[in-house]
Amino acid sequence: MSSYLDWLENESVFIIREAFNKTKNLALLWSMGKDSTVLLHLIRKAFVGQVPMTLVHIDTSYKIPEMITWRDEFVARHGLKLIVGQNTQALADGMGPDKGRLNCCGALKTQALLDTVKEHKLGGLLLGIRRDEEGSRGKERVVSPRSSSSEWSYKNQPAEIWHYYNLHMPEEIHVRVHPILHWTETDIWDYIRREELEIMPLYFGNEEGNRYRSLGCHPCTSTIKSCAANIDEIIEELKTTKTTERAGRAQDREDTYAMQKLRKDGYM
Amino acid sequence: MVELYTEPDVKKIVVVGHVDHGKSTLLGRIMLDTGKIPADKVEAIRKTCEEKRVVFEPAFFFDALQEEQEQGISIDTTRVNFDFEGHRFLLIDAPGHIEFLKNMTSGASEAEQGIVMVDCVEGIRNQTGRHLKVLSILGIREVIIVVNKLDKIGYDEKVFNKLATDLSELAEAEGLRCLSVVPISALLGENITKISDNMKWYEGLPLLPLILKLKEDTLDFTTGAEPFRMVLQDVYKFNDKRYFAGRVMSGELTPGMEVFFSPSGKVSKIASIETFPASDKTKATKGESVAICLTEQIFVERGEVVSSTKEIPEVETELVARVVWLSSDPYRADDDYLLKIGTNEVNCKVSIITTSGATKSQPSMNNGDIFDVKITADSPIAFDRLLSTANLNKLVLCSKYDTVAAGVINLKAPRIAGAPVADPNVIYEQGYVQRAMREQQNGHEGTVLWLTGLSGAGKSTLAKALERYLFNTGYKVVVLDGDNMRTGLNADLGFSAEDRSENIRRISNVAKIFLDTGFITVVACISPYEQDRECARKLIGDQDFTEIFMFCPLEVCQSRDPKGLYKKVSTGQVSNLTGMSSPYQSPVNPHLRLDSSRMTTMEEVSAVIDLLASKGVVKSEALVSQGAAPVSEAAPPTR
Repeated sequence: MSSYLDWLENESVFIIREAFNKTKNLALLWSMGKDSTVLLHLIRKAFVGQVPMTLVHIDTSYKIPEMITWRDEFVARHGLKLIVGQNTQALADGMGPDKGRLNCCGALKTQALLDTVKEHKLGGLLLGIRRDEEGSRGKERVVSPRSSSSEWSYKNQPAEIWHYYNLHMPEEIHVRVHPILHWTETDIWDYIRREELEIMPLYFGNEEGNRYRSLGCHPCTSTIKSCAANIDEIIEELKTTKTTERAGRAQDREDTYAMQKLRKDGYM
Repeated sequence: MVELYTEPDVKKIVVVGHVDHGKSTLLGRIMLDTGKIPADKVEAIRKTCEEKRVVFEPAFFFDALQEEQEQGISIDTTRVNFDFEGHRFLLIDAPGHIEFLKNMTSGASEAEQGIVMVDCVEGIRNQTGRHLKVLSILGIREVIIVVNKLDKIGYDEKVFNKLATDLSELAEAEGLRCLSVVPISALLGENITKISDNMKWYEGLPLLPLILKLKEDTLDFTTGAEPFRMVLQDVYKFNDKRYFAGRVMSGELTPGMEVFFSPSGKVSKIASIETFPASDKTKATKGESVAICLTEQIFVERGEVVSSTKEIPEVETELVARVVWLSSDPYRADDDYLLKIGTNEVNCKVSIITTSGATKSQPSMNNGDIFDVKITADSPIAFDRLLSTANLNKLVLCSKYDTVAAGVINLKAPRIAGAPVADPNVIYEQGYVQRAMREQQNGHEGTVLWLTGLSGAGKSTLAKALERYLFNTGYKVVVLDGDNMRTGLNADLGFSAEDRSENIRRISNVAKIFLDTGFITVVACISPYEQDRECARKLIGDQDFTEIFMFCPLEVCQSRDPKGLYKKVSTGQVSNLTGMSSPYQSPVNPHLRLDSSRMTTMEEVSAVIDLLASKGVVKSEALVSQGAAPVSEAAPPTR
């Protein structure tokens, strides 16, 4: 093992294998974004090319349309099993960002995810969150147990010492496992470049000089001014940027502790 | 393509110390003064501080939770990558409140070095000392001591010097090397990136250059080339191929290498290292998560430690460790705990060793307490005693769903299972040659055949016949005959119930030694009590203990009376003869039941050899029915 990226990769593969061994019905929460797509690749690394689990996508119906097209093509081409979860009831009742961004995230993402976990009896989820994304994620454990209401008890998290992850859980608990928690945004791009991964074109600057740095629902996600048209240029840009990765995500700025509140209830 | 960092270049540093001594503030300050916090983030924190009507607090960069910011306390640990002058550091913030010790330990367990912070106004407090002890348990060997809030005492050099001496001594007492002591003000950013005008008396470097210097100052505590260790996480079967997945913890793995699995003791050879995308990988080193294929298909499961056949880990059921208790639920002597080392997990009991050496049973470990404990596991577990980067000397204890303690295995080993050892100073010395290695050399496995039955039931006769047969067919075999043992090792024992138990305890211990030497060990003794045979079975182990009930009607035994004992009972010269004046408890569920009043000795031998073949101890060529050894040579004289 020679490079820093190798070290990151090996650490993540270890975590994925631990989770797979200990968790009944483990699934990958896949948003088609750069992080969970890297995670999918790491799963292949862990299982010598296989993907021995289902992918879950929570579709709020507000996703940027290119994302859905890209998703379906990608899944078909790689022969992946995909579950699409959606809170159809809330959508029928007219839920949308105009009802308050945090309410909307709560219903269309958190609740939809929780319902999907219950419906498909998922014992655990692999999630591509990272500590450097925002403050409350910085406090996360690699393994985070969630009660039946999906709640994150951030004030009383279990001890996680060395590589001894706590994956023994009572039946009603599902675990969130975060194999790339220790990666940074730059690490992700470095790795995508090295492994030559297929990545959603929305991340690259268009003719108008705009690109998405973080992907989400179209009403609440804005592009950044950037001409970075390929991975090398994105990495260069990240070296000098003075803004945070999720600056284009409106829900983060609804109030000071918006993400903490969302995530306490089970938001990714 | 050149990547910026390689793994050994990442230094993982934890900041510890008592609550409110300024740990999060220091880390926030370092990030801020080196321009590592994006402008929009700084602005957001400035806004939050204004709303809360407090001065700009760098700690908020780490203390992101609402409760943390409102109460000015770190609840949980945070880890932040810090890239500086071409090096990457992982800065770990650890909460200082005793209630959050499990969070502090969680963060610190990833660190290689520590920064210990002390508030010069408050001085050394409870958690200062406790955190030093925890760092020591976690295997950290080097610290920088930082004395904070010098601005609050008018930058008094004398106060600093006194604290510097006291703290260094405290650290050294826990086996921590103190690299330097720095006076700072984290809130005001003094002596962080550059020397403050207010502390011209300080002759050392500011903190940041000292952190950079940590790389060169690091001592290698491991001794030369480390032995190969891989922990087995899982076995996958994809497309009719079996992959053994795990992580190389130290040393190096190459195809063609002969490997040893502990605790199972199995041996195989590495055929290939499998990767995605496929490649011709010829080597895997420390830290790599690998999938390997083996040349010989053996059955092993998660939890095994893979090593070379030359340098193998220790395997025990009992060990002594220093642990820190991390749960608000106190320790209870009667509780079952789960012991984790590597990827292995076994149920265990834990007892506290007090300083006087006796084990104490009262529950007396609460959150934050540090004790030496004896851990008695239900089944053997593999580990290394020495400090190495393989980390197989590190363990956690779990109760139900929570990790309740973290610890490190003490260098001195306790005695292995068997009778309780009267004196705690007796230390078991682990040998290098393991049973599986001997078995490999012998060409067969060892096992224990335990023949039980009345005097005259044919135990010794069968034992001798088996010994002769197996010896002639090339097996290592030994007979432990009850009466023979009573002429030497057990010469001091009579036939009271206590003496009979002691007789069995000694015989089973001798049998165990022969078993570990890879012998087929035939025990022939009356062993009349179920309880004693049960003890023998436990000591020897279920897998290796075959109970053979020599069943023969008492009248037949009496008529044979090979030793004239039944006759002596009738004339009153012998009392306590089993079956006459002393009870015999027949085995409830023996592996084999042989009636020598109806079978010839050769038929009995044949039955036992069949059983050994079914267990895989002897090869089928050895079967009597296959005519392995000439009957004229192998068969004992007919009765």
